[in-house]
Amino acid sequence: MRAIKHPSEAALALHAGGDLGPIAQWRTARHLRRCRVCREELAAFQGVRRVVAEMPSEPEIPWNRLAAEMQANIRLGLAAGECAGGNLPASHSVFGFTGWRAALALASLTVVVAAGLMLRHPAAPAGQTVLEATADGIQVRRGGESLGMKHGAGTGNVSYSASAQGSIGESYVDPVTGDVTMTRVSW
Amino acid sequence: MVNTMRGKTVMWLGIGVLGAAGVLAQETQLPSTAIKIDLPKDSPVAFLTLDPRDSRFAARGGAIMVDLDALLTMRNTSANRIHGITLRVVSQEVTMGGKASVCIPRLNIAPGEVFPVHIVQHLVRPTAFASGPLVEVSLDGVLFQDFSFYGPDQLHSRRDMIAWEMEAQRDRDYFKRILTNGGRSALQQAMLREMDRPQLDRPTMQRGPAVSSAALAAGERSERFAFVSFPDAPVELVDGAAVVAGNQVRAPRIEVRNRGTLAVRHVEVGWLVKDPSGREYLAASVPSSQPDLQLTAGKTVAFAQDASMKLSRNGQPLDIRGMTGFVSQVEFSDGKVWVPSSRNLDETALRNVLPPSAEALRLTELYRKGLDVLVAELNKP
Repeated sequence: MRAIKHPSEAALALHAGGDLGPIAQWRTARHLRRCRVCREELAAFQGVRRVVAEMPSEPEIPWNRLAAEMQANIRLGLAAGECAGGNLPASHSVFGFTGWRAALALASLTVVVAAGLMLRHPAAPAGQTVLEATADGIQVRRGGESLGMKHGAGTGNVSYSASAQGSIGESYVDPVTGDVTMTRVSW
Repeated sequence: MVNTMRGKTVMWLGIGVLGAAGVLAQETQLPSTAIKIDLPKDSPVAFLTLDPRDSRFAARGGAIMVDLDALLTMRNTSANRIHGITLRVVSQEVTMGGKASVCIPRLNIAPGEVFPVHIVQHLVRPTAFASGPLVEVSLDGVLFQDFSFYGPDQLHSRRDMIAWEMEAQRDRDYFKRILTNGGRSALQQAMLREMDRPQLDRPTMQRGPAVSSAALAAGERSERFAFVSFPDAPVELVDGAAVVAGNQVRAPRIEVRNRGTLAVRHVEVGWLVKDPSGREYLAASVPSSQPDLQLTAGKTVAFAQDASMKLSRNGQPLDIRGMTGFVSQVEFSDGKVWVPSSRNLDETALRNVLPPSAEALRLTELYRKGLDVLVAELNKP
């Protein structure tokens, strides 16, 4: 008999956000159809994701309180884990879960909240910021990120400009509107 | 034979992998709700419709790619004619801090009239739990016929739009004069020269080492600027240099003196580079770096930038043999703007070195449709 291989927590978290690749998404969905435990865990991730999405924007996040709550959650999780180790009877529950499940759920929640916040406000990408004109527009890029303005297909003469203060621009007659259009990107 | 078969197998495998990658990219139509248009309540333009056209987004690896191709329609709700508009186009989720904008100069929108703005943007950002719009469009400024201005002006679009409007008027007058004095053949010759401006390859720029560092790396030299002087320019260029190594230039530093009577709050210097044959190309502009510059009459100020550029022409690195600077824009403390006149450009042979103004670009496009179309346009009052 072959043991069931459950998806990792990270895979379930990504599945909850629809961020898995199509093949992994299909495999996870297939597993979820026949695994109640993972379905419950997915539901928890989806709940947390909703909470994260509804959180206020960066300036309003009470970081200190959040950190304190996260620490408290971790302590609670560890305490629950210890309880599950033998001090409490197997039937004892925390927030409706039995001991090891409570510890797992709280630890998972903590990880997901932290991951959600990190993904929502990712660290600045490493590497040199580059301004460049490409075949179809201008862009500023750094690491794997880029932000660019493009001239649409069918644009005729394009003229480029650069400012040593850190910007490049292009001018062209837009084929859709017929207007002279000047775009610019800067660091 | 075996090698050929192996080659074909590899080719088909490659095609298969590319095809699979295309399928996995999961490209999706971008809904109009993913784009937010943010205009102030008292804005002189109203947003009417948003056509997302062929806007798409796709998840690739750990990143989201957004291809925005949106056509906005707006209405002039003010009592003045609009001559230019600048919109900021940002994504809150981009962490590197870049800014992008689109400006439509040379408009002539009467009160109540509707006009389109076409925005084509490409964005790559990390996958994130995005809860808001992917792209936000907001107003940076509107320039009216009388050069009055509305908007937060975070991108200094007021100064730019006024300068572009002045350059456009100057160049329209120039082509009208050619048509009046030399007729259609002279206009045709001028248009051909316009379309044959020497241009460097597409620009690439990085932040160089801090400009405060005077140390030269191996192979670098300090190259001094020669200056073109305009008799009527409100400021004069006193001294300047940049670091050059082969086709790479960085750290331009320029000293200017206010020789007029009005205080100046912004100066921009055109930066030309010379190749071994003596031909000149515009590399960049060097703006004054101080945001709160107050250059009063008779005073001198130096400014420097830390940008670094590699210059090439027709795919070949440009061997930089000299540099020239000229005053390309001045903004006075009262908000008025100075740009070189037609006479300045003709007397110094700069006309065919500078990039085309908005009007020159528009007229060139009309010329492509036929000389008659251009002549009809220039004969308009």
